[in-house]
Amino acid sequence: MNVLVVLIPLSIILMVGAGAAFFWAVNHRQFDDMDTPRLLPLTEDPPPEAATSRDDAAPQDDAP
Amino acid sequence: MNAAAVATARPHAAAPAHACWHCGERLDPAATRYADIAGVRRPFCCPGCSAAAEWIDRLGLGAYYRLRDQPAARAAEPSAAPSPWARPELARHVVRTREDGRSEVCVLVDGMRCSACVWLIERAVGALPGVAAVQVNAAARRARIEWDATRTPLPALLDTLTRAGYGARPLDAQALDDARRDESHAAQKRLLVAGLGAMQAMMYAVALYIGAFDGMDAVTRDFFRWLGFLVATPVVLYAAQPFFAGAWRTLRARRLGMDVPVALAIALIYAASLVEALRGGAEVYFDSVSMFVFFLLAGRYLEMRARHRAGDVTDALARLAPACADRVRTDGALERVGAIELVPGDRVHVAEGAAVPADGVLESDACRVDEALLTGESEPVAKRRGDALVAGSVVVEGPARVAVERVGADTVLAGIVALTARAQAARPRLAAAGERAAARFVARVLALTALTALLWSLVDPARAFTASLAVLVVSCPCAFALAVPAAITRALAVLAGRGVLVVRPDAVEALAAATHVVFDKTGTLTDPALALDRIDARAGLAPDAALALAAALARGSRHPVAQAIAAAAATLPLRQAEDAVARAGLGLEGVVDGRRLRLGRPDFALAGAAEAALDARADAVVLADASGALATLHFAERPRADAGAAVAALRAQGLTVEILSGDAPAKVEALAATLGITRWHARQRPQDKLARLEALRRGGARVVMVGDGVNDAPVLAGADVAVSLGHGAELAQATSAIVLSGEHLDALPAARRLAQQTLRVLRQNQRWATAYNFAVVPVAALGFVPPWLAAIGMSASSLLVILNALRIGRRRDAHAREAIA
Repeated sequence: MNVLVVLIPLSIILMVGAGAAFFWAVNHRQFDDMDTPRLLPLTEDPPPEAATSRDDAAPQDDAP
Repeated sequence: MNAAAVATARPHAAAPAHACWHCGERLDPAATRYADIAGVRRPFCCPGCSAAAEWIDRLGLGAYYRLRDQPAARAAEPSAAPSPWARPELARHVVRTREDGRSEVCVLVDGMRCSACVWLIERAVGALPGVAAVQVNAAARRARIEWDATRTPLPALLDTLTRAGYGARPLDAQALDDARRDESHAAQKRLLVAGLGAMQAMMYAVALYIGAFDGMDAVTRDFFRWLGFLVATPVVLYAAQPFFAGAWRTLRARRLGMDVPVALAIALIYAASLVEALRGGAEVYFDSVSMFVFFLLAGRYLEMRARHRAGDVTDALARLAPACADRVRTDGALERVGAIELVPGDRVHVAEGAAVPADGVLESDACRVDEALLTGESEPVAKRRGDALVAGSVVVEGPARVAVERVGADTVLAGIVALTARAQAARPRLAAAGERAAARFVARVLALTALTALLWSLVDPARAFTASLAVLVVSCPCAFALAVPAAITRALAVLAGRGVLVVRPDAVEALAAATHVVFDKTGTLTDPALALDRIDARAGLAPDAALALAAALARGSRHPVAQAIAAAAATLPLRQAEDAVARAGLGLEGVVDGRRLRLGRPDFALAGAAEAALDARADAVVLADASGALATLHFAERPRADAGAAVAALRAQGLTVEILSGDAPAKVEALAATLGITRWHARQRPQDKLARLEALRRGGARVVMVGDGVNDAPVLAGADVAVSLGHGAELAQATSAIVLSGEHLDALPAARRLAQQTLRVLRQNQRWATAYNFAVVPVAALGFVPPWLAAIGMSASSLLVILNALRIGRRRDAHAREAIA
């Protein structure tokens, strides 16, 4: 049963980590838009010139 | 509006060949324009649509046409006028400067219909130089843009949206402090904490249950109990906060709200388990309390989503009131300012066709205004010097000079909007009733718990504590709390996917119970576009020549009859009219080829002539000169393609279908006969329609009213369920509970079937929750339910409720096919 002493704290640490990751995601508005992401796989690759101009714009990412 | 929260089954992603490639409207062969989009020649209905499609293609976002599942809104023609938002004084009101130096603006985007629109907007704006972030909320039709104002000016941002075919209107900077977003973030976090906590607590509890069978030493048992305490603590202290806060609020107001028993139960189970753990007692219930909180929060979360989906009425204010005004300076010159900059005492100039920016008094001699917004009367009202004008009314004959008296939140319009907002903020009635039922139930359970404790302490004091705790745990108010939100949320999502936007969740209940459907005729059962049927020209005048003369007058007007004439004459040589003036409600007058002509109602057109044989022409338009009638133009209304099928389907469901129309009896009768409707009333003014609805409702009928015009708005407000069509007037949509965004009337019978299914499922859920509790609580009170069984029973009962709700709309493909056939 000694293995529990290692595994259970580990599971709690993992859970706290998962919770922290989720809080980060919520704060960074990852869950605000539940509608459009399902379309992303259907889009064609953007044309190269549009892709470069969009890199600095990065509409999805807004880490302050 | 969130036109498609769920993928739709409707196959109009790509417009058919005879429809406009951009907006999907049926093409008028005479006015069709063509443009090359991505190398393929596509047809368009108007210059606005073709410009929008070319612009989208040029941005490299042509994939939009493949991704969308709803056709776009008809695009307005791009205007060349300089944008008023270039003025820093005006921009200051809508743009907020962030701490990092970037600017931030919230834009109301009209014409957003499905998630492909969101995709398009995010990319089109995101590709502009200096744009750091674009977030589009499809439900609220808002886009929030963070960008570097030195690299791209605000007008350029708005221009990108307008050129892609959307209406763009910056909202007040206050809108940026989005209370809804904060609420939704907090709810998501709480839900996650409760979910994770419940899962972990359950895991440790399973170990305890197994240990109870296999024999577990006291040290290991206590270890697992304290682990359960560890994970349940954040759930109770953080995730369950809304219940405690709500309970505290209602208690302070000296009332017993719904949160009080729930909060009491959570606190009791948690505290009792802690006591048991400390003294090494028989059972702990940390898993149950976590799950209890999780399920209750899940119900609240679903309900919040449904609430947030509904349109925000404060946005309606932004749409109805103009953003800009022409202020008259002291030297008499006009300057364009934002309506927010106006102060009482200012003088403004309102051009013909423009909306009055603020409440005030008319200073010029006379004008005619359309006050449909307030009165529902589409007939323009004559105003004289000194009469009051209200913000949002449209000057149809002007121009007008207005002395401003009240601005912004003090205007009549703002008052109406505030009232509506208050009505809409109310929680859905069904959900409120469901929660009341849950609260009543919890109160009874608390009483029962107290009773159990009392009786056991008389019989066997040692078992009093565990038995009463088992009663508290095994009873499941979660199933009650989840029953309504789960079913309603599912129904709203399925309906949205079929092009039926439910603005007020209460409408689902009312729709299911409806007994009568009342249709407005023009624009609802019939196609909104009129078509010229035939021309009776005077002897010696070719019909085409008469049409060309009429079209010369009609071309400048936006009246539907005039537009039908202009469309019919699109292939004829263009002739110019001089001094053309519109006489509101009567017709048009002007000089063509040196002859003074009048076009309009017979009494108006023939006013100058001796001729008086009018009866046969009562609903036709007459073209006349000084010598008498030149031609009579007859118009025909086509019923919508799916009107017949929709009416038949509604009748098959046992509903009484009725037409209330302002039109002449002969026309209404003809249409009613075509559609197989036996009950109709013609020549109905809005107040007549309202009286008819009230009479029906007094007779016990539950009435669904389907209409589209501004003049229908008050009538819609008087029905049990108000349904408006997506292209209809803004105000009609604001007063209606359901909007048919796809303009498919046949979505209505399908929606009613779904509403009935929803109510059926909802009742099943509630009956199940009652039956479960009746069966289990007495057993627990007798002390026969072990804690593991209590926990399983509680969560299985909640799960069953959710699974049952997911059955709603499952046979959707079958329904959709049936409805289209």
